[in-house]
Amino acid sequence: MEWQRTPEDSVYSEVVVKTLRPVDIAVGCFLALLGLFIIYEASLIRMGVARSLSPRTIPYALGFLISFCGIGLAVKSWRFRGEDPKINWPNREGVGIILVQLICLACYITLMNPLGLPLSTFLYVTFSIWCLKLSKRGMTMAIVIGLFFGIISYYVFIQLLGLSFPAGFLFE
Amino acid sequence: MGFSFDLLFQGFVTALSWQNLLWALVGCFIGTLVGVLPGIGPASGIAILLPMTTVLPPTSAIIMMAAIYYGAMYGGSTTAIVVNIPGEASSVPTCIDGYEMAKQGRAGPALAISAVSSFFAGTLGLFGLTFFAPLLADFAVVFGPPEYFALMLMALTLIISLSGRALLKGVISMALGLIVSLIGQDPLTGATRLTFGSPKLLAGIDFISVIVGLFAISEVMINVESKIASITQKIGRWLPTFWADTKQCLGTMLRCTGVGFFLGLLPGVTPSVTTFVAYDLEKRVSKHPERFGHGAIEGVAAPEGANNATSTAGFVPLFSFGLPTAPSMAVLLGGLMMYGLQPGPMLFKQNPQFVWAVIASMYIGNVMLLVLNLPLVGMWAKICVIPFYILGPLIVFFSVLGTYSIRFIAFDVWVMLIFGVIGYFMRKLGFPVAPMVLATVIAQMMETSLGQSLLISQGSPLIFFTRPISAVFMGLAILSIGRGIWIQVRSKAPEVAIEESD
Repeated sequence: MEWQRTPEDSVYSEVVVKTLRPVDIAVGCFLALLGLFIIYEASLIRMGVARSLSPRTIPYALGFLISFCGIGLAVKSWRFRGEDPKINWPNREGVGIILVQLICLACYITLMNPLGLPLSTFLYVTFSIWCLKLSKRGMTMAIVIGLFFGIISYYVFIQLLGLSFPAGFLFE
Repeated sequence: MGFSFDLLFQGFVTALSWQNLLWALVGCFIGTLVGVLPGIGPASGIAILLPMTTVLPPTSAIIMMAAIYYGAMYGGSTTAIVVNIPGEASSVPTCIDGYEMAKQGRAGPALAISAVSSFFAGTLGLFGLTFFAPLLADFAVVFGPPEYFALMLMALTLIISLSGRALLKGVISMALGLIVSLIGQDPLTGATRLTFGSPKLLAGIDFISVIVGLFAISEVMINVESKIASITQKIGRWLPTFWADTKQCLGTMLRCTGVGFFLGLLPGVTPSVTTFVAYDLEKRVSKHPERFGHGAIEGVAAPEGANNATSTAGFVPLFSFGLPTAPSMAVLLGGLMMYGLQPGPMLFKQNPQFVWAVIASMYIGNVMLLVLNLPLVGMWAKICVIPFYILGPLIVFFSVLGTYSIRFIAFDVWVMLIFGVIGYFMRKLGFPVAPMVLATVIAQMMETSLGQSLLISQGSPLIFFTRPISAVFMGLAILSIGRGIWIQVRSKAPEVAIEESD
């Protein structure tokens, strides 16, 4: 389920590489705190009618489990002295592209109700493809594909399937 | 309640109605497409489409969903052979000899044997499903809440222990999945749990948002870091050597069906595991093991057969016990529950038309897939070169449509986005995703059966060890956790989960 990843076809020539051990220690500590927070939240659950399994029991148990495993992960990683596996984080450019894509998606979700599905789909698909391709020819292609899927989203999902997506001011 | 030809015949009558044939064909087509395209797997494919199938009757919807799952197993081999890119994780071993054959100008025979082996193993696996599932369902009739709780606990522990060397990360992943599904109102008392003061969380978090985020969105995020290679191999003609190749691989197909099917009955043993086992077994029993890795046709037939047999075998515990063995099966279980169908022994008793129609449609679907994959192989090979800058946004578009149509609220799509980011970091940091997905889907059933068990025993947890069947399941759960701890202690290696398939 992965694309072929070879050094020569990587989009980003420099890949920031960090090792797993320090990250695991940090994640372990975070999870230990998260577990404690879950235990605190579980203590706020109203008990209600007495029954064999209290609504607090499972959240308490899971909070303790997450906390315990988080501490275990941090301690195990801290004590580890062998060859540390590397994590292939994207470099600054890669992070930028991922962030832009996430912002595009966030805008898509935000605009879906006020603009409607067809128009927000057109805007999302167009900008998202253009941001990934970033060329003059890419913009034309992005508009064509965006337009196609904007129309599809209206005629197939709203008209044909009758699903309750917001149609937006263009189609109301 | 067991197997009867009459019920199977009725199933074929239902499955052969033009509507069900159409939806099976649509499912096979989408499944092959999902298999061919890297960046989207069967679990996310089914999860995205599931809410949109509410316009269909339950039988047609599940026929289509099942066809997507086993269709993806067919499609994954195309890119593996032609461009050395596995469409699915289960197609990784196919790359080894398949791509070598393609480089030798024998891509056509490799694709043909892959389709034939998939068909052979898928159909034999279906015989197993047809006869095993009702037998197991008969056995499961005596199961009460303690047995169900112990069975689900065993499934979760098996999945965690099979996550490679990442026992702690597997347990954390499972616990987080359970926590996510607890958010909202307690189904029995109505008490609000873990809503963190947010009224939007009162209705809970839908598992489809979680699955689409974890698989589809995180996969898109990972894939925007790379770009696709282009097709350089010619397909070549497959017909001249077809019968000779099939005859040569007959033994291989039988062996890989056995391996794939029987291992596939176990929770956590996904096609990505059995394909490696089948490939390794074939290499061991071969008279010419030196040919493996250099374009041995058996090296293509073995993994491709095994993944289809495994995908079919997964339906046995799903239909008999209501137990999902893999993320895709968990999504299908969610789909069945969405339609008010409770998988398990009563499914065969209360909805025989439904369950036999789905089984019968799988026989038909296998024939459809053979027809779709043999002559149209050139078309599938061309589809896999769609560049990711087009494919990525389209996967996100369909993911948004799928999650929004669960309850038609934007909140579910935000949840999908958040779990996409979580899934991205989980993959980067070696956390297994499968325990989280399975826990999210089965959490409610586990909680209900735990509550009922404790009610029966008046609060004593010993009930799980005093009833023989649940004691066996609890024993196996403890053994699998013990095995995981033993591996951890012995290896002293850092926590990294093995590569997962959805």
